Amino acid sequence: MTKKNSTSASWWNQSHIEQHHGKLWRIGTLSLLVRCLPNEWQIAYSRKNESESDLFKWNVSDSDQTPENFKEQARYVFHETSGLVSFSPLLADRPMICRPRTPFNLTAGEEITLYVSTPLWLEISVGKTQKKLTEIPIHRPSDTWFGPTTREGELCYASNTAARLILEELPQRPHRAVTPVLIRNLADSVLSIERLNVPAPLLPLVQDADGQMWTPKVTLTREKDGDMAGLKIDTKAPKEASEAKVLRKPRIKTSSGALIRAFNAVFG
Amino acid sequence: MMELWNELLTFFSSEKLLGITRMILLLLIGYALAKLVSSSLVKMMSKRSDLHQVMLVKRGSYYLILSIFAISALHQLGFDLSVLLGAAGILSVALGFASQTSASNLISGLFLMAERPFSVGDVIRAGTTTGEVLSIDLLSVKLRTFDNLFVRIPNETLIKSDVTTLTRFPIRRIDLLIRVSFKENLKRVRKVLDAVADNNPLCLEEPKPVYIFKGFGESSMDIQYCVWAKKENYLDLKNQIYEDIMHAFEEAEIEIPYPHRTFYTENPFSVPFAAKQAPEGLEKTNNTETND
Repeated sequence: MTKKNSTSASWWNQSHIEQHHGKLWRIGTLSLLVRCLPNEWQIAYSRKNESESDLFKWNVSDSDQTPENFKEQARYVFHETSGLVSFSPLLADRPMICRPRTPFNLTAGEEITLYVSTPLWLEISVGKTQKKLTEIPIHRPSDTWFGPTTREGELCYASNTAARLILEELPQRPHRAVTPVLIRNLADSVLSIERLNVPAPLLPLVQDADGQMWTPKVTLTREKDGDMAGLKIDTKAPKEASEAKVLRKPRIKTSSGALIRAFNAVFG
Repeated sequence: MMELWNELLTFFSSEKLLGITRMILLLLIGYALAKLVSSSLVKMMSKRSDLHQVMLVKRGSYYLILSIFAISALHQLGFDLSVLLGAAGILSVALGFASQTSASNLISGLFLMAERPFSVGDVIRAGTTTGEVLSIDLLSVKLRTFDNLFVRIPNETLIKSDVTTLTRFPIRRIDLLIRVSFKENLKRVRKVLDAVADNNPLCLEEPKPVYIFKGFGESSMDIQYCVWAKKENYLDLKNQIYEDIMHAFEEAEIEIPYPHRTFYTENPFSVPFAAKQAPEGLEKTNNTETND
């Protein structure tokens, strides 16, 4: 049985699985089995508690387990299978709501950068043409509602890690991406920051030379009138990510990187 | 023979035949045009509007075009439309008296369409019926219940009674009724419940779960714990969270009590002893219901 365990190599590279064999990936809390049969691909996964998993590492090994041992199972039938399976990381399909460890206030005219860590999704595709089979969140974040009332707002995911003012305090995990969020308060009054809406579907995913995932910097500006907030997404990788290369384009394309939103839609 | 031939000849060359041909042509063109216009409107609207609006526009445009062509067709036959309209007025009064229920449903239907308390595809509860709205028509609303029955509810009933639209807003609250034993520490119970809600990804983090202490029941302390879910996940979460609470209570050794009664007697040996003796020898028993 071969076993690969790495912190520098990527977990999303292409892999070859012999027919009637399977491979098991362990990434954070996720255990994912991919089995190749002559006419079908079997994908099965289950999750452990965070306390039972090593969140900082991943590994892949040959496995003779069957999908029945996992909580979720799916079969994809093909005329013939080549044995080639590709993983690719992508950001969440809904905005992520992040909170600082304790709420803080930003005085008039001040600006601050917060670092936010968001979980990644895993896209599984097979064959040389990379036919997409499915996408699975590596860590399934909790659903949450973001809006002024229970009637208005949008469904988002709640990030389970706190936003930090110092980058080094943020745990760096292979299956999470870091987004620098610059918050500017141009209004005359104090801005209380309890939670932030990070528009994950609008962000591209980049990787630096050390293998850490990033997204470009997001600038949230509270405008002078106080009711509106500007949202700007940088086109380049953040300065903290050295030699960054783009891994994935945003899920939703915007014509320009700048949007004006209601204050409530950005700062809650 | 010649007379018949002459009559046929005059008929075919007469204005009447021309009128009938025009009428048929107009009806055919009207039908085709109504179909074409209504289906193209549906195509145009399907991306931007909901099912209900699309259905309304489809039917409205179809019947409007068809009726315009039908009136023109009647005009070709020599009908005086002003007389027809006058007759229709008198007829409608007569019909109104004769069919009060239908008229009431019709007007209620118009109100329902204007007010739009629900749309096609919504799940509503009217009286004891819960189901998905299939169509909102002038006389009635058609529902498909979850046991796959077709239910027709007259519009008048819907206007007069309470109707709950279950799928109006994107999120819903699930109210869980939980009973714990009197010996439990409520702060600890609350902590366990919060942890259960926190660990279930379908349970919304915001709005936060609501904890309400309902009071002291006969055999338990009653708690209402309310969690929020995306409307599509309502049933899944409701099923999962009760199971999660059961497991969490088992792990934390929190007792979910069942209704029970305790009987106290003055002398614990008196009852079996008395049963062996004559009935009049029975000791006096004290029957007390307790909360434990």
